[in-house]
Amino acid sequence: MNTIRPSDFGSFWYELGKDLADIPASPEIEGIPMRSTDFADLYGVRITSIGPYRLYGFLSIPKSDGPVPAIYYTPKNASVLEIIPQGTSNAIRGRYVTFSLACRGMRNSDKPYAAMYPGQLTDGIHDPESYVYRGIVADTMRGLDFLMSRPEVDRNAVVAWGNDNALLAAALHDSVTHVVTTPAYLLNTIEMAERTSTYPLEEFNDYIRRFPEQRDQVENILNYYNLKWHAQSITATTLVMADHESGLYSPQSLSSLVEGIAGEATVHESERSSFRDGLFAEKWITENLIGEDADPIVPAHWQE
Amino acid sequence: MAVNSEYKCRVAKPSDFDEFWGGVLFEVGKIDLVPDCAEDDLRSTAEISVYQVYYNSLNNVRVSGWYAIPRHNDGDLPSILLVPGYQSDPSIPKDWASKGYACLSINPRGKVRSRLQFDPGYPGLLTYGIIDKNTYSYRGFYVDAWRAIDFLLSRPEIDNQSIGVTGSSQGGGLTITTSAMRSEVRAAAAGAPYLCGYMDAIELTDTYPYHEINDYLRANPESREDVENTLAYFDGISFADKIKCPIIINIGLQDNVCPPETGYALFSSIGSKQKKLFEYDGHGHEAGRYIHTSIVDDFFAEHLKGDC
Repeated sequence: MNTIRPSDFGSFWYELGKDLADIPASPEIEGIPMRSTDFADLYGVRITSIGPYRLYGFLSIPKSDGPVPAIYYTPKNASVLEIIPQGTSNAIRGRYVTFSLACRGMRNSDKPYAAMYPGQLTDGIHDPESYVYRGIVADTMRGLDFLMSRPEVDRNAVVAWGNDNALLAAALHDSVTHVVTTPAYLLNTIEMAERTSTYPLEEFNDYIRRFPEQRDQVENILNYYNLKWHAQSITATTLVMADHESGLYSPQSLSSLVEGIAGEATVHESERSSFRDGLFAEKWITENLIGEDADPIVPAHWQE
Repeated sequence: MAVNSEYKCRVAKPSDFDEFWGGVLFEVGKIDLVPDCAEDDLRSTAEISVYQVYYNSLNNVRVSGWYAIPRHNDGDLPSILLVPGYQSDPSIPKDWASKGYACLSINPRGKVRSRLQFDPGYPGLLTYGIIDKNTYSYRGFYVDAWRAIDFLLSRPEIDNQSIGVTGSSQGGGLTITTSAMRSEVRAAAAGAPYLCGYMDAIELTDTYPYHEINDYLRANPESREDVENTLAYFDGISFADKIKCPIIINIGLQDNVCPPETGYALFSSIGSKQKKLFEYDGHGHEAGRYIHTSIVDDFFAEHLKGDC
């Protein structure tokens, strides 16, 4: 395991930011009437990231007077781009601006590059310049550039919500005020992968089993993305959704990450119930973005 | 919120239900399976062989899948068909192979690696062609799952008398329709079944993916009757009386995606005399997975391996 941050860690990410700044986002926005309601309008958005590469996202804007808090659903290690996560009450679109972005390779952003799942996490991993994740991080930041350009967004209440990319967004983009994250593969990746045979981490095991001579190189490249090196740059108020104590990403496993986060960090240990865990996150986000007296907007079966 | 366990969904099985699906099966029966099964060295291990799989389905759509088997086997393996959720990417079922099963995990049309000929997108799949039972997306999607049984039957290493099917969410719905339509299925385990009680579900919840239908009806209010008529042919509750194999179902009473009321209604409609419902209070769409996984393991071990 790499215990030392890469010596060129800062310049690696500075160069990426510079590359991104040189590319105009060139947004195109088109209404999607079928998925607009009496409380929110939905738009399809196209923006450009490094490459240049054209990305697609779903932007939902409440019909109320703004600005309002925003939720940025960061790109995923999965093929499907959702408007809002499955199981989330559609009514939240009346309270928040929401923006979900498909990074390169995901559905809607899969031309010319269509990622495989599994496959996305190790594509080009033999070389830091060819590793697809460099572009995915750029895409994640470009999404925030776009979101922050919207006048409807309350700049004091912008949450990045997702897996590892939510933390990278907060570390590398100064607009994120809050984070809800469920780390899944970028914390001490190889070490964690060796402890499981479950995807997505099994994808790294597959790769190293097939190309054992590349192990050190792969580990060195992943070290740039290791969340523990990014933690000190995260000043946002953060909710970390951990596995149950028996799981791979238990609170104990995540302690090196959590302790390094510069902002206030809360850890929620999974109660092994998507209902209880989901309700905790919804209450947390409501309390932090709307106010302690506000009620969370939750689906009917979660209401007490 | 209290859940009514006596809830009955409004769906009525169409009088020509069997005729409709009989016609579909006749159509697909004329299409050669043309199975292709190539080992994937990258995903295989010393203990488990993983194959990339393709076969033909309705409209000659080429369907892909992952097939995993224990590398060392006696050629008489029990097998599992693993059917996927709505949005999730089908998994490589090494875990089932490590338990001693041949396992086929499929990507029905429109999913990753099965998108070249049919790709309504997400959101979109749930309402594509919904105006007519003959154009609805799930007409082919269901058949893709049923045809997977033919793929398993084509394999020399499996025991044809020991085939199970399982999945959760959409995989739960596909488990229902597949065990109803394929008599070769000897045991079925459906989690948080989706695609059951559609027209009730869209009123019981305001979450995606069911909300896709609400979006469609808001934009096309004049089509409500046609939509309801179409969905009656695809509702898992309409298939349920055909299920004769042992089956277990698990639901979460706080399921925010597939309302538990529809799970109760489905269960009461199942024809099998060996059926059992597991209700998990305090659980959402994962439907008590951390407890239920071992129950599913024991269930299949009993019915497919003969373990008591």
